[in-house]
Amino acid sequence: MAIIRAVNIHKKFATVEAVRNVSLTVEQGEVIAVVGPSGSGKSTFLRCINGLETITDGEIYIDEELLEKRTHGRAHVHLSKEDRTRILLKTGMVFQRFNLFPHKTALENVMLAPVNVKNESRVAAAQKARSLLEKVGLGDKLGEYPARLSGGQQQRVAIARALAMEPEIMLFDEPTSALDPELVEDVLHVMIDLAKSGMTMLVVTHEMGFAREAADRVVFMAEGEVVEVAPPEVFFKSPESPRAQQFMRSILQQG
Amino acid sequence: MEDALLRIAGWMPALLQATVITAKLTVISVSVALVLGFFLAIGKISSNPLISKPASAYVFLFRGTPLLIQLLFIYYVLPELFPVFDLKDPLMAAYVAFSLNVAAYLAEIIRAAIQSIDKGQMEAARSLGLTHGQAMRLVIIPQSYRRMIPPICNEFVMVLKDTSIVAIISLPDLAFKTSQIAATKSSQLVYLPAAAIYLVLTAGFTILFNWLEKKFSLYE
Repeated sequence: MAIIRAVNIHKKFATVEAVRNVSLTVEQGEVIAVVGPSGSGKSTFLRCINGLETITDGEIYIDEELLEKRTHGRAHVHLSKEDRTRILLKTGMVFQRFNLFPHKTALENVMLAPVNVKNESRVAAAQKARSLLEKVGLGDKLGEYPARLSGGQQQRVAIARALAMEPEIMLFDEPTSALDPELVEDVLHVMIDLAKSGMTMLVVTHEMGFAREAADRVVFMAEGEVVEVAPPEVFFKSPESPRAQQFMRSILQQG
Repeated sequence: MEDALLRIAGWMPALLQATVITAKLTVISVSVALVLGFFLAIGKISSNPLISKPASAYVFLFRGTPLLIQLLFIYYVLPELFPVFDLKDPLMAAYVAFSLNVAAYLAEIIRAAIQSIDKGQMEAARSLGLTHGQAMRLVIIPQSYRRMIPPICNEFVMVLKDTSIVAIISLPDLAFKTSQIAATKSSQLVYLPAAAIYLVLTAGFTILFNWLEKKFSLYE
């Protein structure tokens, strides 16, 4: 069953078309890595899926429920706020810059939404938050404020925070791009564990190691379009399109 | 010199009595203005023009006209036009005028503090299913407190000194009392203890606000 079905998505900003006719289906349990050069529209596409950006054209289904359908910016579905929130809560989002709530401890960050959105009791939410933070290796940081945590630790709290809402799919927007190189590994480790546990994941990333190890499919985007979709072993060995070949060459030169 | 100290000591009871009016006027007006300013700030940020436009108009009106005229308007002009609004007590008129005026300035301070919070905070809150209102109440506004404390302290200190204009409606505040003493005792020496009292009050506010700032910065 498809958790995400995005059909012919376009996203125009004032003068640029950041996403051009992108279609993508993510099946339950699938891990998809979206790669491509900077400015290729991959983050924008991801942000369209959970409503942080409003698409200009296309259709978005989450768990086979129509969330958004637009042509030339005009909306064809008008969901109630409650329905929209209910559908969007099937997605969990992890941001490039973590976006932890700085005035809340790690534990409070993870508890906030379960208590206020799902009306869970504080005791139950705290218990769940504690076990999630232990799972991401931060069982000893429950009472710390984000400012006292490293970037890698903050991102792991952010992952736990999104997981606390028990989403069907986790969306990652370049989760390791803002991290010091030596901290990337800890976050990737958590993500790979999550992938192995059967979580459906859509990951915009520059970490080819992650894509190779954990992804079922690699989606290569350039200039707002999906250029190539292939299993990682195929994509990394012999990309088909010239654009992807060029991208792989530039990555190899850097690395 | 000894004579001067004795004379100052003699004026102190009257000066301290007047200080009570100055301090009460400052603290009560700014406190009321904080509540009013908060709602004005939320109003200005609102995406609904029926809310944001009146809030902006209020700020424009009260920042765009002199406080002195606002005070005279409330004490003299309004009762003349509408007798129901006759406040009779000049202190009450001063409370109203200062509260309304300071609210406009505080609204801008509070609005700026709220809008300075990183956009990613709202995005994260919304992606977790919080409503816009919950995100404001639980995530954005609590973070803005620390940023608004220094400018609010500044506003407090300015209001403390601006209260001296209440002399125009014959309210015996510290500045008015001081000039009265200077005139009747024909000695300018009285300005010395008056300035010292203003300084002490300012120091008190500053200490209080430094403490508040620390309290709200614990997580940084």
